[in-house]
Amino acid sequence: MVDPRTRLIKCFLAVFSQLKEEDVTQASVASVIDWDSVASITLLTVIEEEFSIQLSADDLGSLTSFEKILEYLKGVNTSNVTPS
Amino acid sequence: MKLLEALEIVKKGNLQKSEGTEFFLACGFTPLHLQTFLAAQLQLLLPQRRIELQTGLYGDLLGNISSLIKGTAEAAAVVIEWQDLDPRLGIRRLGGWGPAKLPEILENLRAQTERIRQAIEATTAKVSLAISLPTLPLPPLSSPPGWRASAFEFALRGCLDSLGAELAQDARVRVLNPQRLDALSSPSERLDVKSEVVNGFPYRLHHTSVLAELLARLIQNPQPRKGLVTDLDDTLWSGILGEVGLEGISWDLDHHSHIHGLYQQMLRTLAEEGVLIGVASKNDPALVNGALQKKNLILGRDQIFPVEAHWGPKSESLHRILKAWNVGAESVVFIDDSPLDLAEVKAAFPEIECVAFPKDDPQAAYQLFETLRDLFGKQTVSEEDSIRLESLRRASALREQNQGATHSTDSFLEQAGAHLTLNYKKLPPDPRALDLVNKTNQFNLNGRRFTDVSWLRYLNDPDSFTVLAAYEDKFGPLGKIAVLAGREEGRVLLIDIWVMSCRAFSRRIEHSLIDHLFDRFPCEEIAFEFAAMPRNGPIQDFFAGFLGQPLSPRLRLSRKLFMEKRPPLFIDVKEIGNG
Repeated sequence: MVDPRTRLIKCFLAVFSQLKEEDVTQASVASVIDWDSVASITLLTVIEEEFSIQLSADDLGSLTSFEKILEYLKGVNTSNVTPS
Repeated sequence: MKLLEALEIVKKGNLQKSEGTEFFLACGFTPLHLQTFLAAQLQLLLPQRRIELQTGLYGDLLGNISSLIKGTAEAAAVVIEWQDLDPRLGIRRLGGWGPAKLPEILENLRAQTERIRQAIEATTAKVSLAISLPTLPLPPLSSPPGWRASAFEFALRGCLDSLGAELAQDARVRVLNPQRLDALSSPSERLDVKSEVVNGFPYRLHHTSVLAELLARLIQNPQPRKGLVTDLDDTLWSGILGEVGLEGISWDLDHHSHIHGLYQQMLRTLAEEGVLIGVASKNDPALVNGALQKKNLILGRDQIFPVEAHWGPKSESLHRILKAWNVGAESVVFIDDSPLDLAEVKAAFPEIECVAFPKDDPQAAYQLFETLRDLFGKQTVSEEDSIRLESLRRASALREQNQGATHSTDSFLEQAGAHLTLNYKKLPPDPRALDLVNKTNQFNLNGRRFTDVSWLRYLNDPDSFTVLAAYEDKFGPLGKIAVLAGREEGRVLLIDIWVMSCRAFSRRIEHSLIDHLFDRFPCEEIAFEFAAMPRNGPIQDFFAGFLGQPLSPRLRLSRKLFMEKRPPLFIDVKEIGNG
């Protein structure tokens, strides 16, 4: 299984069609112009599906950048997130 | 399909340089992932086009449907949910579910259903529609326990069933089949409460994906296959004819071979709908002839043409059957219980859909019948469907006669008593014309295809004319077999659509059509928007007969040259309709 970072990059690239691969790890609500509320829902739904997790409503407001989401995923205790 | 895959397909599709094709998704909820999945599914089905999928306003299904009249979408998906019919049937509004509310909800639903019906009816002249009636479970608002049906729920569903039944009769409206949706998406796994409450999007991802796939297929409206070639032993019947003899083969309950009877019944149904049924069997021809004459055979002997029974390879049989039917391999399905024969045919004709007959697995056989319905399904059965097989038999006899020395072609055609009826009436459109334009490959001027809407636009152009030709001779009618369309440009007649069914070959109908055009229009030259394609050899041969090779993209045929080179014509031509 591919590591969570690579999988998360794939999610970002799919959702933000204008985002360049080299900029993904620096992406945040502030830096990506397309990151609006609809993109946010799409991104988090893709992440839920890709990592087989359920994000709680409380989590949603804080997941505002690539790094924060990656940190969150590392903290989730699931085999879908950890490389096998 | 996963959402990630859908996003990647959409992203890749957006990079296409081709001109965008506009579609519309009309729904009352936030379109969100349904928009993504539908765009992706359309992109997969229409890979040459760049898909542009527009959406409307949240909470205004009726307004979104009505907006299609002024829009430019080629086709639209209309997705109706219970909350669009009365907001209290959803979970985002708190208008009350109590017993006192139910009659009012039902009344409201009836009125809204009628408004939606009217909006759809007003739209269909402009855009073709794929419609999904409510797919979500009703909330627990009526008093009986969940395992007991309530009269209220039956009344609600009855309204929607009536709407669906009415819409399904309109050729330009395609209603999603709830039975197929149920098979692919469990009703209890459809509603996403969190997503609906937080985002206003009511579907779980799997349901969204399935719904989008079926809607895209409704929009694409694939052309049905034309012919089915079946094996006999352990397929059309149970038993090996050469081993058990005429009395040993069976297709009934008594012999535990009923599934073969059902298969025959399915083939008979397809034959009655105009599907060509042929036989390819490694067998003794005399025995096969005897078996096919059996009176209790459900598939009629007269519904099978041709029968290829010999000991040679099946691919040889398929080659001859394709020739007799005059259709391309991609239009044909081959069914056999032998994996070896299936592989041999597939190797020779990769475009043929080769399907195994699961003789020992009735459940799989039943699924095969559903697959056949998908491959050959069509909205309506036309007059042409009912006479296709007979006209093919006649065409085959005609070819054989032409090859013989008894009669010359001229004398045969002269005695045929042929009549060609040319209908210039453009509106309302005859669905057969579009059917011919989109299905015909061999005698096709340029392969141009149309959607319902673009065809309507073409017909509405006041400068254009169209001719739908129907042929009949003393052997019987061939039905509507050719379409010719174009416009006058000064002293030149420009033809940009010309197709003719392969059933109509060898009768000089094409010559008679051009002869008629020179007679009807005051032109000295006809220009044809011609494009050579791998499969339009017959029309290339027709033009080469006058103009020689190579053929240029805009062919010009002068009156003088045509009259000098055309063969004798014996068809009586009659014109009806005035455009």
